[in-house]
Amino acid sequence: MPETAVLADSLTYRIGDAVLVSEVDFEATPGSLIAVIGPNGAGKSTLLNLLAGNLQPSEGQVLLNGIDLSTALPGDLALARSMLTQRAPVDIPFTAAQVVAMGRFPYRRDDTNTSERDAEVVAEAMDRTDTTEFAARIYATLSGGERTRVSLARVLAQDTPIVLLDEPTTALDVAHEERVMRQTVQLSRRQRAVIVVLHDLNAAAVHADQIVLMSGGAIVARGRPRQVLEESLLSDVYQQPMVVVDHPFRDCPLVLTAEAP
Amino acid sequence: MTDSPGLVASTDPYVSRRRWFIPVVALLLLATAWAALSLGAVSVPSGEVLGVLAGKIGVDAFDEPSRQAEAVVWGIRMPRLLLAFAVGATLGLVGGVLQGLLRNDLADPHLLGIGPGAAIGAAIGSAAGGVQGAIAGGVTAGVITAFVVRRLSRRASIDPTMIILSGVALGAALAAWVGFVVFAADRSTVPPIEFWLLGSLTGSTWRALGTAFVFLLGSSIVMLSSAHLLDVMGLGEADARHLGIDVDLVLTVLLIAAGVAVGATVGAVGVIAFVGLLVPFVVRRVTGPSHRSLLFGALASGALFVAAADLVARLLIQPVEIPVGLVTAAVGGPVFLWLLTRRRDA
Repeated sequence: MPETAVLADSLTYRIGDAVLVSEVDFEATPGSLIAVIGPNGAGKSTLLNLLAGNLQPSEGQVLLNGIDLSTALPGDLALARSMLTQRAPVDIPFTAAQVVAMGRFPYRRDDTNTSERDAEVVAEAMDRTDTTEFAARIYATLSGGERTRVSLARVLAQDTPIVLLDEPTTALDVAHEERVMRQTVQLSRRQRAVIVVLHDLNAAAVHADQIVLMSGGAIVARGRPRQVLEESLLSDVYQQPMVVVDHPFRDCPLVLTAEAP
Repeated sequence: MTDSPGLVASTDPYVSRRRWFIPVVALLLLATAWAALSLGAVSVPSGEVLGVLAGKIGVDAFDEPSRQAEAVVWGIRMPRLLLAFAVGATLGLVGGVLQGLLRNDLADPHLLGIGPGAAIGAAIGSAAGGVQGAIAGGVTAGVITAFVVRRLSRRASIDPTMIILSGVALGAALAAWVGFVVFAADRSTVPPIEFWLLGSLTGSTWRALGTAFVFLLGSSIVMLSSAHLLDVMGLGEADARHLGIDVDLVLTVLLIAAGVAVGATVGAVGVIAFVGLLVPFVVRRVTGPSHRSLLFGALASGALFVAAADLVARLLIQPVEIPVGLVTAAVGGPVFLWLLTRRRDA
């Protein structure tokens, strides 16, 4: 495995005159969990979509496990990175188990990959995401949070070295948010490079190895949670007074909003 | 998905329904075939029908058929039955593919305008080269129209009902052009407008069957082999890409196949509406959404539907034959309406 799983060099993405992402350098190593945070419209999702190969950068290039995105074949890409999207269709007529099994699609033509192996991976992914109980239910009939967990199981079943998650916890209750974040941590412990866009600053503070703070399409800070989650910086970027204290039980910062003066 | 054991197979709610589907459809196909070969203005007893068929494979069995029975069964009814099967199977299949591709259970090749578009090419082609010219022209125009539909569906992709609405508008405009071509052409070589727009299997020939069959077989193989891709594309374009599907390539290839398939049917028998809408809709209740069973089911059921509709078209007001597209529309129209209103409720 190459030392750098994700390497992006001077990425810029423009639509007309609007610059959505501006000269972003980005690097992720196997085994790291990087949280991308920032206000609405900061370019977090655009950056993730550039890293996934869903958008072609106006300038710059992306290497995923050494594969150049601009020339990569879709099949090779699917073995290198998986992604959880924010706005997937909800009217999917398949059962939860069938949806998760689609995560094995990229492996279909591989002789060493038997259907028993597929079944094992699918069962394990559903177990990890706590979705086995509704394996037989139709995806379209699940609640928003249940659908997110099933989609996450599908991403786990794809079993790629690079995992991109776009706001995986948005529709979840606190218990499942915690579970999903713990799964994300475990993914990185299994030597995956995990990049996750988060709105919940405290989820980022608790779980991420590294935080990337974006604003106006550019990265304004990156580093360990204690380095990035800093009162004046956050207050400035979010245009909202913020207070950062020590978490009473965990070894990380705790971010709170303050009253406007 | 059907090839993974364990959790996935055990949670498939359609397994037991699929089991009785094949024998039931097979029986109904046989019954329809018997009726199509035996019944009509000239009634041919079953024994003689079997005698004709046995004679064709060199077996001397059953009743010795009369010359008239042989001419009617083999010369007229057999090519008509087989063409009905081939056309119906293809239209059912195309409907299933388009519905999967556009993620829209209202998609139908003719409602989207592909049929009327193909009919323009087919009418022009028939002026130049009879039924073979019609099929060639239909295939060409069918592929072109399929790509026009693709552009339209890109624009309207937010609202599935809009895609159908724009297809209906496109179809109406194209149907008018079929009329212009037909009325400008020589009446003795080009079939009349009701043939093109309402469809008819009257006068089906072995030649028409043979020519159409080449195109129908080729395009159907392409469409059937896309079943697994269509399942994954059900997750939406973005996730299909994440799983390694070249969405644009699949869309292009399948639209060409659909255009070829629809064009060949229109060249041979005109526009038979609603088959592509109705058949996958009904079959999906039985096979579930998995495209491997859905597409094969739509193939078999489409054949059954058009052959049965043609029987009704032939026998309903004897000795007058009504266009088969009227029969399919009489059944399909109300279902389409019901689907539209249900969509609004959702």
